[in-house]
Amino acid sequence: MSAGAPETLAFDSLAVGDALPPLVLDVTATRIVAGAIASRDFMPAHHDRAFANAQGAPDIFMNILSDTGYCSRFLTDWAGPDAMVTRLAIRLGVPTFPGHTLTYAGEVSGLREEGDEGVVEVTFRAVCDLGDHVTGTADVRLPRAGDRS
Amino acid sequence: MSTTEDDLEARFAALVGTNVSSHEEAVAPDPVNEPMIRHWAAAFEDANPVYTDGGAAAASRFGGIVAPPLMLQTWTMATPVITGIAERGGAPRPAQGRSPLAVFDQAGYTATLATNSEFEIVRYLRPGDLVSASTTFESVSEEKVTRMGRGRFVTWLTVYRDAGGEVVGRQRFRILKFDPRTGS
Repeated sequence: MSAGAPETLAFDSLAVGDALPPLVLDVTATRIVAGAIASRDFMPAHHDRAFANAQGAPDIFMNILSDTGYCSRFLTDWAGPDAMVTRLAIRLGVPTFPGHTLTYAGEVSGLREEGDEGVVEVTFRAVCDLGDHVTGTADVRLPRAGDRS
Repeated sequence: MSTTEDDLEARFAALVGTNVSSHEEAVAPDPVNEPMIRHWAAAFEDANPVYTDGGAAAASRFGGIVAPPLMLQTWTMATPVITGIAERGGAPRPAQGRSPLAVFDQAGYTATLATNSEFEIVRYLRPGDLVSASTTFESVSEEKVTRMGRGRFVTWLTVYRDAGGEVVGRQRFRILKFDPRTGS
């Protein structure tokens, strides 16, 4: 990596229980619409308030592809550019609406070695104003071969 | 004409292994490409340089630009017919044939709640990869009593492949089909 580029975590420096830096998002209508369209999800519940209201929701709400997208950002913001997300399993909780704050937080829940790679299991949750929006686990693979210069 | 319990059980069991959509396979309308990756990275404010910075990506383990792993599902999403999408209840395209989910509606499980999404990423995609997806019913649970009402958990498995037919990822998606009249 060139100077100034973000660093990838060293697998051997990690311990079970290490906390990830939280990812705090202001949930706005713009954020919801941007994520829905960038993920090619045109379901009107994610961009049309009148449609959402007719379905019994108080406002538009974040789509699942945005949830998984933010999960991967939460993981690699922490783990760095040489990390590979190889597994992500989420359980969907309450919806998140404009005006909410959505906070991703998690910790290392497992470490294992597979050849030249280290696999970090992360257990995490994303909490919005109504409670748990997403809970889940993920595997992030890190290279273990000493220097990456 | 009435449908007996046994008939219903048999019809749910018969779904397992069959296609969820009326198409055998969904082929991405566009190959994996840098403009859509940049658009995604901007929307999610994801600054990971392996998605958008050719130099940094070349110096990484990937050796070049890769698509965000959780963009996997995006490539094969149906291109929508915008006109009439609200009237179709959000279905991206006009219905072609009868939905395999109709059997749930007939059993009174008219409402849907997504409960789980699980991804296995076999490899990261690169610009030029053309992704296709085939989705089958993996399981239908017995009837459960939930807070939402009586219902069944339905899991479908999507296998994503590249143009050479190699598996690049898998997704399990679970929904609860339930009878909203029976909720607590």
